[in-house]
Amino acid sequence: MPVESLALQLQEVTKRYGDFTAVNGLSLSVPPGCIFGFLGPNGAGKTTSIRMILEIIKPTSGSITVLGSPSALAVRKRIGYLPEEKGLYKKMKAWSIIAYFATLKGVDSRTARKRAFELLERYGLGAFAEKKSETLSKGMGQKVQLLAALAHDPEFVILDEPFSGLDPVNQEVLEEIVVDLRRRGRTVLFSTHVMSHAERLCDRLSIMAGGRKIFEGTPAEARALLPPRVRLRTSHSVAPLQQLPGVTAVRQLPDGAWELQLVTGTDPQGILQACFEQRLVLSAFSAEAPALHDVFVHLVGDEAREVKLR
Amino acid sequence: MLHIAFLVAAREYLENLKTKGFWMGIIFFPLIWTLAIKVPVLIEKKGVPTRYFVVTDPSGKWKGLIDREVDQRHQREVLDELVSHARRHLKRPADRVDWLDHWSTAAALDEFIAKGGQAGFLKELNGLFEAGTPEFVEPRRHFQRTELPTEVTEEPRETLIDRLRPWLKGEQKLQMNGEPVGLFAAVLIPRVVQEAAPGSAKASDKSSNEGNIQFWSDNLADPALEQLVSETVGRELRSAAYQAKGMNQAAVREIEAIRVPLVSLNPRKAAGEERVGLGDRIRQWIPSAFVYLLWVAVFVSSQMLLTSVIEEKSNRIIEVLLSSVTPEELMTGKLFGIALTGLTMLFLWIASAMGVLYLNTSKGSVAGTAENIPVDLINLLQTTWLLPAFLGYFILGFLVFATFFLAMGSTCNTLKEAQNMMGIVMPVLIVPLLTIPFIPRDPNGTLARVLSWIPPFTPFVMMNRVTGHPPLLDVVGTLLLLGGFVAFELWAAARIFRVGVLRTGQPPKWLEMARWLRSGA
Repeated sequence: MPVESLALQLQEVTKRYGDFTAVNGLSLSVPPGCIFGFLGPNGAGKTTSIRMILEIIKPTSGSITVLGSPSALAVRKRIGYLPEEKGLYKKMKAWSIIAYFATLKGVDSRTARKRAFELLERYGLGAFAEKKSETLSKGMGQKVQLLAALAHDPEFVILDEPFSGLDPVNQEVLEEIVVDLRRRGRTVLFSTHVMSHAERLCDRLSIMAGGRKIFEGTPAEARALLPPRVRLRTSHSVAPLQQLPGVTAVRQLPDGAWELQLVTGTDPQGILQACFEQRLVLSAFSAEAPALHDVFVHLVGDEAREVKLR
Repeated sequence: MLHIAFLVAAREYLENLKTKGFWMGIIFFPLIWTLAIKVPVLIEKKGVPTRYFVVTDPSGKWKGLIDREVDQRHQREVLDELVSHARRHLKRPADRVDWLDHWSTAAALDEFIAKGGQAGFLKELNGLFEAGTPEFVEPRRHFQRTELPTEVTEEPRETLIDRLRPWLKGEQKLQMNGEPVGLFAAVLIPRVVQEAAPGSAKASDKSSNEGNIQFWSDNLADPALEQLVSETVGRELRSAAYQAKGMNQAAVREIEAIRVPLVSLNPRKAAGEERVGLGDRIRQWIPSAFVYLLWVAVFVSSQMLLTSVIEEKSNRIIEVLLSSVTPEELMTGKLFGIALTGLTMLFLWIASAMGVLYLNTSKGSVAGTAENIPVDLINLLQTTWLLPAFLGYFILGFLVFATFFLAMGSTCNTLKEAQNMMGIVMPVLIVPLLTIPFIPRDPNGTLARVLSWIPPFTPFVMMNRVTGHPPLLDVVGTLLLLGGFVAFELWAAARIFRVGVLRTGQPPKWLEMARWLRSGA
């Protein structure tokens, strides 16, 4: 896909603060009209990357093309942004905050006002339109901020950790909003470290750790990174299963179940057959593709723990 | 660029207008002004009761003179109040201007008393007052002599003061018209008042009370009565001395009435108009007023600027903003929004000050008298180049400080950090405040000229010098320097702002900020 038609392209982008390298040679391509997940543990460099994409900070080296432009500020009216740390003007009313940010993005003030009330109404905050933001609950405030990022109907929406701090109901509402944006042909890039959202939403994703990209592709491609596995529960010894052809490892999971790692291409049916032959009494048996969570832990587990200890 | 900056400025302005602080500031200052003018007058009129005093005078010579002086002063006050009452309430005060003005001379008091005092005055104007004019209320007497309390005997004279002490200390009260009142003072005059000739032993001897007039009072704050007694007795003693030396009484009075024929003239004014009038005096003081206003504007706005930047930083709103606007747009918008807030505040203060003065202007007063200050001010501002010069210095001066505060604010995360920064700036702000009274006295002196060329002080000092006709070099030069300085500041502030607003943690060291300037990142 040529660069001009991509929503976003990063090439060898690096950001250094003195001796510390926050982002190291990051390259990404986000096609238009998709939901792109930007995954990684805390401190992976996601927020720094997003700030560079938005031209809030400048990369030390590398190039960034947003909506075909080398400068995000040049196309800022077509971008919507919800930052990781959420905040609002305390003394301003909900509608006027949304309208203000919309006018900064080039919407005329009358339309901005109208759209603010419409959005608040549509997302169940109509009764709070005239309330000062300091009187809203945290979740409501976050919703107001999201609406402020969307009020100018941007083509490209960047959401930094949008799910954090929302209750499950509102997380679902947010997922609906994101899906709806894609339905209307918008591009969404969001960062998260909660894999279940990425699993449900993403068309493509990238996993970062320690400032480096370690994966980019579709969720299916991500899952294919891990060998298939079988999960079973039994009160008998699983030792005989370790000898089976195609089984590379057996380990007990924290919930007491056993997990067998298989060589790619091994048929789980054969394992089940072997269990019967060994007369193992099974209370559960499942053959599942690995979850994104497992891929994530597999890819960044060590790195994430390292970050945590640092 | 400008459109976005305008949007930022508009939000800043409108949000500031909604704050309680803004409106309290608006109301607070004029209120203080009004109170500062009105309260002392009110206290003087209503608050201070008539003060009763006793005089012992074995020679019998002084009581009458003191009574006469007390009464004359009271009559003078009644007369002044009557004139001002007439100016306010006459139907056509213009017809009576000369007549009203003539009462201000010293000789007019005798005429006033001779013509029947208050009653005579009001009779003269009978029927000339507007309908609904309130009745004239005679002002309260300040002092009233009374006789010794009945319990106190005058003799023996040596111990009289001990007998009077309970009254002077307020432990005992006098009965006046059935009401208990305190005794304000006791004046004990000896049988023979020994005048103290200059340089004599008597004049320097303060330890002995013998032969002195003794003024006993526990109120040391109000010297009026003490002065009255001293002046009255002094006048009489001098008069006796003149007589003793064989001088003609009338001639002495005449000589004493000589006034120094000094008028203040201004060589810069056109022939025939050189006389220094009230307008000129006001012009001399307007600059100080403007310097003070600039100072208040800078002080108030600095708080607003810091709070505003820090709110956006601590709430992390800054990040959304910076994805929509450039740091330069944000900074420009904030600067103008807050400048506009400050100017609105100043405008309302000046307008209300003018209003207060104007409402106090009575009809029938002549142009040039103290009561026409607002009109004079407006005339003055219209007819001279003061206003454009002030505006130039005012706006540049405001920018010098506002830009600085904005850049500083952008590096802080909390108000506390910002206040620490303020601590460094305050001394710079205090200097111009301290120089306000000195600059107009010597507007082209070394101090004034040197301070004029130091940018943070330039606007304050130059505004204060403007009426002293500074050399053209100073005016043009300092304006250029100030303009250049502001341009540099804006450039530097934009660089610091760009880095500062996204920074968290400790505020940067000065050296680090200097690095931001060089690298621009």
